[in-house]
Amino acid sequence: MAIIGVGHSKFGKRSDASLRELAFEAYNDAINDAEVEPSKIDGSVVCSATHYDKQRSPAGVVAEYLGLNPEPTFNVEAACASSAVGLRTAWALISSGLHDIVAVVGVQKMTELSSEEIQELMGRAGDVMWESPFGTTMPAYYAMYATAHMSRYGTTEEDMALVTVKNRKYGSKNPNAMFQKPVTVEEVLKSRMVSSPLKLFDCCANADGAACLIVANSEKTKKLSDRPVWVAGLGLASSPMALAGRRGPMTTFEVSKNAAKAAYEMARIKPADVDLAEVHDSFSMTEILNYEDLGFTKPGRGPKLLRKHETELGGSIPVNVDGGLLAKGHPVGATGASQLFTLVKQLRGEARDLQVDRAKIGLAQNIGGIGMYAVVTVLKA
Amino acid sequence: MGFEKFGKFGYVSQTKVASIISFLEKDQLPATCCRKCKTLHFPPRADCQHCRSNSLDWVLLEGNCTLVTFTEVHFAPPQFQAEAPYVLGLAELNESLRVFAPVDPKLDRKMLKSGMKLVLRVTHGAGDSLFYQLESVKLSRTGK
Repeated sequence: MAIIGVGHSKFGKRSDASLRELAFEAYNDAINDAEVEPSKIDGSVVCSATHYDKQRSPAGVVAEYLGLNPEPTFNVEAACASSAVGLRTAWALISSGLHDIVAVVGVQKMTELSSEEIQELMGRAGDVMWESPFGTTMPAYYAMYATAHMSRYGTTEEDMALVTVKNRKYGSKNPNAMFQKPVTVEEVLKSRMVSSPLKLFDCCANADGAACLIVANSEKTKKLSDRPVWVAGLGLASSPMALAGRRGPMTTFEVSKNAAKAAYEMARIKPADVDLAEVHDSFSMTEILNYEDLGFTKPGRGPKLLRKHETELGGSIPVNVDGGLLAKGHPVGATGASQLFTLVKQLRGEARDLQVDRAKIGLAQNIGGIGMYAVVTVLKA
Repeated sequence: MGFEKFGKFGYVSQTKVASIISFLEKDQLPATCCRKCKTLHFPPRADCQHCRSNSLDWVLLEGNCTLVTFTEVHFAPPQFQAEAPYVLGLAELNESLRVFAPVDPKLDRKMLKSGMKLVLRVTHGAGDSLFYQLESVKLSRTGK
């Protein structure tokens, strides 16, 4: 199965557009990119964390608005990893022979919710029986991993700030990113505390946006596309939702390691073979943990990799050179497809100022919620 | 019904393990133990995922534990904003089970360190709410 077309809306506070219209922007962009007749698309997978949507069961209205009735459609939800799981779902639909060409549409409309509504939803991000009743938040869970990494390996708040500085630098060159302005280490360190040790600029922002992937089986791909990007490896794993259900020193996401292992095995590659990566930087520290969990460096050595500029353009493993979630914003359901959009552009050599030299193998890693799900996808030119 | 009393703000009212409340009311920390495979479950479960048995007995925990990690929450959900900032912790009980719980606000946050010994104790919150929190070993001995 290959990705034959990709589309992306502008991410950010999109008070000009509704959920279905955002989906249309990305879909239209992807159809034009694939140069495929929309009538050839025989199914759509609509990916969003539906608890953020005013529209219940949004696949219904999205498929209608995109003009994809009466072909099959349904929603896929895996929190922040929804559209990465959407790609896996499309793989199953296509490799089973049920479908030939599928549109994977990741979309989310978050900024029209009041901050009260957002905070209330955030309060229920964890296990609602045993952990939410103590006042948990999404940043609090990730902050606990950050505290553990700092305590075990001596990682500093400045190390974390360097992630934001790097990603905001690249975001300033990505026209689809929510934040277009670079930030300094001092600005990150001085931003207000959210959940110690994570400060405001260590956290990604809620956003509106959509990204779309048109995927096809090998036969259709060879017929329709002159620049396909092939899906070489798919890994998806799960972890207990309750933090208390997880083991180990909390300096690593076992769920990411398991997903990466599956993806590397399927793609028959090693971490060193990856030319560029898109990783889940919902929080600055998460990117550091991801370097280690994906095998780009040893446990505890993430900050060193960052400080040696190895994860920048020109380094041994450029990471999030589109700005990542920290600069693009995080329209939950669209994020996974947005990461894959970037990889496809890079592997086709169409990333302009942000192009990684001779990129042949790209990896995307997307964590769902507070780490219950992780997806690792390997694409090859 | 009744489980809504659990925590500082309960979201769930109905569960097969709602009788945890009657133990907390007596300042006891209960886990469940599978009669078949003897696995200890905390937080308590009504069903054992290992042998799929639903015959479990209530057993009491001592509460001695070691802090694994923590965070001080400044940006809080609406129901918790009045008490922010507050500290949440993850600790490992001596029974090799982990607990997620608030850290006693009387404990100085600057003193907190991964690996330090703490005690999990029952606390009565606002209204008739009941929960457990991570307290200093020293404070717990002298009582409140």
